[in-house]
Amino acid sequence: MLLDAVNSIAKQNIGPERYYDRWLEHPTSSILHHDRECCDQARLWFLAYARSMEGWSSSQFRLNAPTWLSQHFNWGPSIWPISWCELVKEKTIDCGVFAALAREIFTAQGHDVHAGQCLLSYNDTCTNHWKQLWKTKMPKREDQRPGEVFHWVGDRVVYHEVCIIEMPGEEARIYDSTFGGWYEPLERVGFGALLSVRSECPRILKWGNKLLSCGEWVDL
Amino acid sequence: MSLKLESQMNKKIYICGMHSGQNPSAGVGIARSIRKAFPNLPIVGVDYWQGSSGLHDESVDEVLIFPQWKQIDRTRHLAQIRKILDDGNLWISALDVEVYWLAQNFGGHPNLLVPSGSALKMTAKPNVEAFTSLGFKVPENISAFLSDVEVHSFLRQIGWQCWLKGPYHDAKRISSWEVFEKARENMQKEWKTSHLFLQRHKIGNEESICFAAYHGELVSAVHMEKRLITPEGKTWAGHVTPVSPELLDGLKTVLRRLEWSGGGEIEYTRDPDGTKWIIECNPRFPAWIYGSALVGLNLPGRLVARALNLPIIETKSLYPFFTRVVQEVVAKEAIGIPMPPDPSLTPWPAGGQKGKAGPMQSSLIPPLRETMELRTLDSIDEEREAIAVRIPEHVPAPYSAEIDMVTESFDGETPTRIHLHSWTMSRFQELLDGIKPTKMFSPEIRIGYSIKTCPTTEHISKAQKSGFYMECISQLEIERALNSGAQPNQIILNGPGKFWPLTRPPVTGLHMLFADSIEELNRVLEIPNIAECIGIRICLPKLQSRFGVHVDEYEPFQELIASIKKIKGKAKLGLHFHMPSWIIGVNRWKDAFQSVLTWCEAIEQLTHVPIEHLDLGGGFYPTDLVGLNFRWIQEMVKMSLPRVDGIYFEPGRSLTQEGEIVVSRVLSVRRDTDKKVSEIVVDACVAELPLIQSYSHRIFFRPAANEGPTSEFRVLEKGAAKILGRVCMESDILSAGMKLPEDISIGDKIIFADAGAYERSMSYAFGRG
Ligand SMILES: [Zn+2]
Repeated sequence: MLLDAVNSIAKQNIGPERYYDRWLEHPTSSILHHDRECCDQARLWFLAYARSMEGWSSSQFRLNAPTWLSQHFNWGPSIWPISWCELVKEKTIDCGVFAALAREIFTAQGHDVHAGQCLLSYNDTCTNHWKQLWKTKMPKREDQRPGEVFHWVGDRVVYHEVCIIEMPGEEARIYDSTFGGWYEPLERVGFGALLSVRSECPRILKWGNKLLSCGEWVDL
Repeated sequence: MSLKLESQMNKKIYICGMHSGQNPSAGVGIARSIRKAFPNLPIVGVDYWQGSSGLHDESVDEVLIFPQWKQIDRTRHLAQIRKILDDGNLWISALDVEVYWLAQNFGGHPNLLVPSGSALKMTAKPNVEAFTSLGFKVPENISAFLSDVEVHSFLRQIGWQCWLKGPYHDAKRISSWEVFEKARENMQKEWKTSHLFLQRHKIGNEESICFAAYHGELVSAVHMEKRLITPEGKTWAGHVTPVSPELLDGLKTVLRRLEWSGGGEIEYTRDPDGTKWIIECNPRFPAWIYGSALVGLNLPGRLVARALNLPIIETKSLYPFFTRVVQEVVAKEAIGIPMPPDPSLTPWPAGGQKGKAGPMQSSLIPPLRETMELRTLDSIDEEREAIAVRIPEHVPAPYSAEIDMVTESFDGETPTRIHLHSWTMSRFQELLDGIKPTKMFSPEIRIGYSIKTCPTTEHISKAQKSGFYMECISQLEIERALNSGAQPNQIILNGPGKFWPLTRPPVTGLHMLFADSIEELNRVLEIPNIAECIGIRICLPKLQSRFGVHVDEYEPFQELIASIKKIKGKAKLGLHFHMPSWIIGVNRWKDAFQSVLTWCEAIEQLTHVPIEHLDLGGGFYPTDLVGLNFRWIQEMVKMSLPRVDGIYFEPGRSLTQEGEIVVSRVLSVRRDTDKKVSEIVVDACVAELPLIQSYSHRIFFRPAANEGPTSEFRVLEKGAAKILGRVCMESDILSAGMKLPEDISIGDKIIFADAGAYERSMSYAFGRG
């Protein structure tokens, strides 16, 4: 039923997308921990580093988003799954890793933060470039089987991961950890428009005039 | 069309300030907005410069170009504008300076859409009083012409993130003392005013409320969030929304009280918590105003409709965003394009500015301020709002009294350095008193006296008597400390060259040793019994420093962890962080301190070696160290690192900087054409005062002979006269501007205070033959 809703919006505005089903069922990304010193060390280094990168003058505010992440890492294909000890050596990470890192930082700052997913609309020029980028630059793992790569790029819709921050008064704020900005609850079609969002917060959150309930895709 | 309506449609709208460049005036935006609402209403573009590009815009029907401001006969100018207004035409000004001039010289006119002088006063920077009732807050600010000590203190406390602003639209970012002094001098010259102030930078997104009012009656208002901003801070794209009903009501009341006429804009920053920090109120429409008209909120259109009693129809855009587009248009032959300047007029730009082979752009487009005369408003002088930042007393009485005493009968050779014994002792005592209340809590606050800042016997023995450790950076300094009676276990050894000179064996049995690199740490671990506590200095990410282990890369951190594990069983583990609060500001220092604790926790967790000594270094400005909340520091450390036994501070400059003065004599007095003192040359120079330009110094005056009421010993205030040093170096300027006694003469004494610490230890002999 939910699937139909998203499909209908896409059909009206964008056209059919072959990976819809996979996007809607895709679990949010998280970072692997080897349960050994390698990952302990990497994770603690990262969190201490993140604390130092916080702007001293913005640390007084309720929300101090890790915008520095988008300057520190490039956005692009990264190995999947990725562990902490691999991550700290990377220069390029994908939106799922960005979101997972940002969640760690928000949590360390004392926020209630949850994984979020969205579908964004783009044109086929962009999506073709991104498909090509992923095809050529995706690091190969030795143990990887063909077909394991997640097809996040559609023809005119792409899958994206974000952070959902729980604010006082059951309000949500949606942070794009990849590009360091906040989404607005505005309905729009066209380039970069947010079409649909899914929150993993176990509580129902208000976002503009929308209600985000856990695990449900909500159209804008 | 009714007869009346038709006659109204013949009225012309004069819009002044039409330049559309990288820092555009609003004229084009106003003209386009009015043209959108009333396609047939004649629009006259007005400016004081032929090169004003917006005059060529298709929205402009007629053009009125005045000569440069300096060439204008004011009476005639006023009469011409009055005639235009009396004929029933409207005048809208988009030039700040013209708005101020009209407000002060014109008096009201029903068709003049410009706010009055009193309204401008109430909306002047920095406090923008009129709008505080609407929930806007004013960022902390002080006059840029307070004493150097006060300004320096303000800047340190806000972490050197500050704007220097003038009465109009100019603003410069301030990041250091040198930048501030230069910017203040330039801005004062440029705007011919000392109404400059420093205002704390507020983090947040820029927004603005634009409004239009007709003789006190609010016509319309709009809210705009800036989405793209140019490096000059100009809006390039924005999101337009209606103003909330509550704000609209408040605005109505305020504008009625101000009897506001014309456009206006409240620019503010919304911080991440939603607080609105007012930046300024512009007494005119902003340059982006057509963006608002495009999405369906046409303020200039509504203002004209109200003034001329015309009906207006608007359609709202579904996507309420606008963006600016740069566009070439055919120039109008009737206006013409200015002649190119002669290439010989083009100066070579200083400071490595970008550009092509042609003349600098600024030489082609004269800034408006050069074409207009400036009149300042008194309100800038009015009481500033109480600021949260604590400014210390400029010259405490005992300080001044001791300088008076030691220089009163001084008749020796100058320049010379004199030690202020009582004041120095009082600095040590103040620090002891400051940490006394912490004694009953743990971890203990301990002091290490930084020998390098002031290695005199008197200072070292006072430090010892006060129970301080000796902080050394070389084997020679250790020797100096031991010779003064210190024991090895009272010594803290720091720095990148701690084993210099290599020709002698290192002193062992020290209290603490902090390695400056991982290589050094590994080496030190091989020296038996070198110190009770061995530690490492770390350099935090983002803080530029050549010292310590840089943990901003993962690999050095891994190596650090491996090396620290080796300390176990050999010595206690310490950690050293040093970033002068003097440079980064007190609040940023506190944040860095908290960040250090996070690193320490990570190190403890990964090595299973507890940190027992935490050295927080020195570099505090005299008034800042005693102002630190030591109890808070104790609590924070205890919470994060329960095994820490001692927290160390290593003051040097904060104890000794104020405790010395350099006495100099006036060698030469120079006067300007009005016979006012413009410059003096003294016999001190940058050799005796090597840091004179890097921090604020208090300067005193004492006449050669003690006679006459104006010629007594006193501290000098800021003014316009320069104090130049005695050597032939361009940079030998000891003060950019002080108020000197008019009867100052050769042989009078100029006394530079705050000349201890590094000002002493780094001074050198120069130009002495
Ligand atoms: Zn691992």
